[in-house]
Amino acid sequence: MTPKSLLARATAVPGVAYLLVALIVAFSILGPGFASAPNLRNIGVQSSILLLLALPMTFIIMSEGLDLSMGAVLGLAGVTLASLLAGGVALAPAAVAASGVGLVFGVINGLLVVRLGIPPFVSTLGTLGVAQGAALVATDGQSVVGIGPTLPSLYASAWMGLPFSVLVAVAVYLIFHAVLYKTRFGTYVFAIGGNRESLTLAGVHTDLYHIGIYALGGLMAGVAALLLTGRMNAGHPTAALGMEFDAIAAVIVGGTSFERGNGWLPGTLLGVLTVGVLRNGLNVVAVSSSLQVASIGALVIVALVIDSVRTSWRERT
Amino acid sequence: MTETARTAPLVEMRGVSKTFPGVRALDDVSFAVDAGEVHMLLGQNGAGKSTLIKVLYGAHHPDSGEFLFSGRPVRIHSTADARRLGIAVIFQEFSLVPYLDIAQNVFLGREPHGRIPGIVDATRMHAEARRALDLLGLDLDTHTPVHELGVAQQQMVEIAKALSQNARILVMDEPTAALSEHEIGRLFELIRALKRDGIAIIYISHRLREVFEIGDRITVLRDGRKVASRRPSDTSMDELVTLMVGREVDTTYRHGFCAQPGEVVLDVEDLRGRSGVRAAHLDVRAGEIVGLAGLVGAGRTELARAIFGADGLVQGRVRLGGRPLAGGPSASVGAGVGLVPENRKDEGLALIRSVQDNLLVAGLPRLFPSRWYRFGIASRAVAELISRLRVVTPSPAQPAKFLSGGNQQKVVIGKWLNAGSRFFIFDEPTRGIDVGSKAEIYRLIEQLVTGGAGVLLVTSELPELVAVCDRAYVMRDKAIVGELRRADLTEENILRLAMHHAGEHAVPEAGTARGVSR
Amino acid sequence: MSTAAAQMARRRVLSGELAGFMYRVAGVVLVCVGLSLATDAFLTVSNLLNVLRQASLIFLVASGVTLVVLTAGLDLSVGANVGLSACLAAAAIKSGAVELGIVTGLASGTGIGLLNGLMVTRLRVPPFIATYGMLWVVHGITYWYMDGQTIYDFPERFRALGSGYLLGVPIPVYLMTACLAAGGVFTRYTIWGHQIYAIGANPEAARLSGVPVRMRLNLVYTLSGAMAGLASIVYLARLNSAEADIGEPLMLPAIAAILIGGTSLFGGIGSLSGTLVGAILLTLVLNGMNLLTVGANWQPLVTGVIVLLAVWIDVATRRRAGG
Repeated sequence: MTPKSLLARATAVPGVAYLLVALIVAFSILGPGFASAPNLRNIGVQSSILLLLALPMTFIIMSEGLDLSMGAVLGLAGVTLASLLAGGVALAPAAVAASGVGLVFGVINGLLVVRLGIPPFVSTLGTLGVAQGAALVATDGQSVVGIGPTLPSLYASAWMGLPFSVLVAVAVYLIFHAVLYKTRFGTYVFAIGGNRESLTLAGVHTDLYHIGIYALGGLMAGVAALLLTGRMNAGHPTAALGMEFDAIAAVIVGGTSFERGNGWLPGTLLGVLTVGVLRNGLNVVAVSSSLQVASIGALVIVALVIDSVRTSWRERT
Repeated sequence: MTETARTAPLVEMRGVSKTFPGVRALDDVSFAVDAGEVHMLLGQNGAGKSTLIKVLYGAHHPDSGEFLFSGRPVRIHSTADARRLGIAVIFQEFSLVPYLDIAQNVFLGREPHGRIPGIVDATRMHAEARRALDLLGLDLDTHTPVHELGVAQQQMVEIAKALSQNARILVMDEPTAALSEHEIGRLFELIRALKRDGIAIIYISHRLREVFEIGDRITVLRDGRKVASRRPSDTSMDELVTLMVGREVDTTYRHGFCAQPGEVVLDVEDLRGRSGVRAAHLDVRAGEIVGLAGLVGAGRTELARAIFGADGLVQGRVRLGGRPLAGGPSASVGAGVGLVPENRKDEGLALIRSVQDNLLVAGLPRLFPSRWYRFGIASRAVAELISRLRVVTPSPAQPAKFLSGGNQQKVVIGKWLNAGSRFFIFDEPTRGIDVGSKAEIYRLIEQLVTGGAGVLLVTSELPELVAVCDRAYVMRDKAIVGELRRADLTEENILRLAMHHAGEHAVPEAGTARGVSR
Repeated sequence: MSTAAAQMARRRVLSGELAGFMYRVAGVVLVCVGLSLATDAFLTVSNLLNVLRQASLIFLVASGVTLVVLTAGLDLSVGANVGLSACLAAAAIKSGAVELGIVTGLASGTGIGLLNGLMVTRLRVPPFIATYGMLWVVHGITYWYMDGQTIYDFPERFRALGSGYLLGVPIPVYLMTACLAAGGVFTRYTIWGHQIYAIGANPEAARLSGVPVRMRLNLVYTLSGAMAGLASIVYLARLNSAEADIGEPLMLPAIAAILIGGTSLFGGIGSLSGTLVGAILLTLVLNGMNLLTVGANWQPLVTGVIVLLAVWIDVATRRRAGG
């Protein structure tokens, strides 16, 4: 990157990094124990699952879409995983099955949006209902327990002091980073959001890649189910409902916008950390979890307003 | 001059015709471009230039005619065929992806890869992009995201993209429209370099100065036909202008011009719109049809919309009947202004709604002061409008999208009649309308002004403008550059005012306008 | 054209919509027939009245959202809106009088609707995102406010609003009828209603025709919130208890009712009577599932599938009609 574009990038995304630092400082002052090592480790662990959702959500938002079904699909995949484990299936095939469930829903989302032309908001709202419904039906609303020791112990394991979930999150981040910036698929993610027609005119099967973006989201929801089920030591159908909202918030706060194929993966990482710090910090300061959700909602709206103000200001100059 | 054995032209089309429903866009056109030649394509709006280009790069199939490439017959059935032959078009709307860098854009869809097909070989891609840019004399870093580039540089990237696909024929459509003087100079240097490499360039422009500066040959189209092919040294600007105009209007569109205009209905002072358009002064009096002329991109629609309030004003004063007009379309409509937009399907009508609903939507508060919608009153108002305007429709309930273009336009006009407008802005009212309906539209417009309204008429159909308007303002580069009174209102005068390059000395504003000698 | 011909034309305007309406009513009849054949428990007076009551609740919520959808927008916050408004109303009843509770519920709903409207018109946030964000903000506030508690046991005269009967018909049905009538008058017999359809059909053309688009959008979002507030009162009265999650199960059925009823997500097409039929049809399906002892857990699944099917039909119809 040239110095000019680096500066442009830095001033174009002023919010999230400074916001994160400001929040960390604020909570360190306001809340005793916030800045302690175990608490920061806590934030890392809690953010890991969110990062797994926010990364593909970045791609989806870059392509001018949205996926509201991720939380429900995660729940369904988790329930599938837990049921298989409880039924004696080994971890590896069970994990593949859970990821497969996620992938199927991702492909369905992609087909609905790309082939049938149904607006992403509504189509993923519908698949949210279907996934949530399926999970509820399969479990009758109850948790699925008795998943055996393999997954929980894997989840609890650490390597060089880093918990398993953080390692997974880091690995996935590196993979997504490579995909977006080094592969053809990543180039086309930019193009689908930035100038879809020119991609098609260049002779590319745009629809295929577009569906692939949604498929990736579903797949990652399935992978995230692994972590969540390991953490909860059970599969619960509605445990992850609403997590997609945190993911969307993280992506938007991180600077990715809905237009023109503008996306910044490190920004999503910062956004995830911001959401994690916000939640954790509010906890430490004893604000109830529901108000946390409210404040994240407000955060998203503020971020969107800032984004639209910045865009129109930039367009005018 | 002795003719040595001539090599065949690089690309040639013979006898190409293309007809769309209702209009003959190309009529037996033959056109050839040699390697290393800059061939200028001139013609008014609607003369057939863009159709010619679309046929050349495979977006349209001609009804008849053939193509030859270096003397060999070829078929161009799709844009892929054209690309393979080496034909590339540099559009005004660029085909670049804003947040990808230069190299990624140049190689979009053709990314080089190493052993693994999905992973891009960035080193090789940037190296080859670097080579492409060097050929053009561009010293930009290939890692620069394209959205950070200025328009001129983006255009260069487009050209680099075309050249890297081994284009031998470049088509440029108004390439200098958004460029500064300095950037235009750079572009011309590039064009000369490309010529030396044997690249053929088809160049569409309205700026006659450029024609003479960079052109090797000039072809003039008019009404879908080729009327002349000249070398710059064998012609002059005056002759070119004369060649471009000259269609006889065979219908009398206006029966009586306005001898005694009434009060000032609309006046505009010192206007500057958000879109960049400027108008020092403009007025329209009762009983007048005032034209607003200029070429595509001159800013006529922007000015019309700024006056109507559809786009914001940075500064300026618009008055209707002496009273200031400020605020958005809602205020303008209430005050009595009606806009018949250029794009009637997207901006003038709600296609899925009925004729009745479309006719009444602007006049609802006026027709129903109590705010209660009364079907009886509505039906009567609609029936009266339909009969007065002679709208052809099976019923008022017919969705507007089923009406013909002419009748759709009548509905839009009827909407403003219903709203009680006293000042009408028409933007390209007869575009896409058959000749018979055109006469009806102009008849309606004339009825409006004889009834005391004022009309501002934006149209690219110069013969119609000359036949219908009492006087006209001419725009160029987003500003009004002159006013022509009835006596001086000719197509030649309009085009002369409309076509000077911004760098030329200013042309005398009002009254007579003469051609500027080079 | 004579007035008689104009009147005939007006009837023909309705006939296109009328045909669609008739198909939907036929669907209702079909489902009724099917259910009455499948189980004896269906065709009882008490069950049918129950269906009507339940459909009324969905309709009250969906009616305001219908207006929003007519403008090519969407209000995803209604479920959360009902939740918060009901909880606030419950607390107000407990601490004051029934009347205070009703006013609180309506005020809360209207306020949320107004905020949605302002976000869309002033802050220019796309409606889907604005109301989605609002959903979570309101959800969070509701959960925080209720803090896991339940407020229950309300005065008899209040509960009558939701559970009571008047002349043998459940009271919510009267409210539904009144709402349908008022809404029908608004959409067909006022110029504001016509302007709303114009905005949905082509917002830019409406703006350029002098329709005050921002004012009307503010209106529909506020109305949507107000109807959610009204629904929250009736819902609260019916359930006789308020918990934080009280409104959550309402959003998907409301959207489903609107879509089944023929109102298009792309704006400009639809009606309140369609939403009513959609609400009834949906409730019949869910009621049938209950009677046939299909688990309650199936309901979100079925509703989700119905939403997808209805949207698909909407998209396909719209594309064929070229709108």
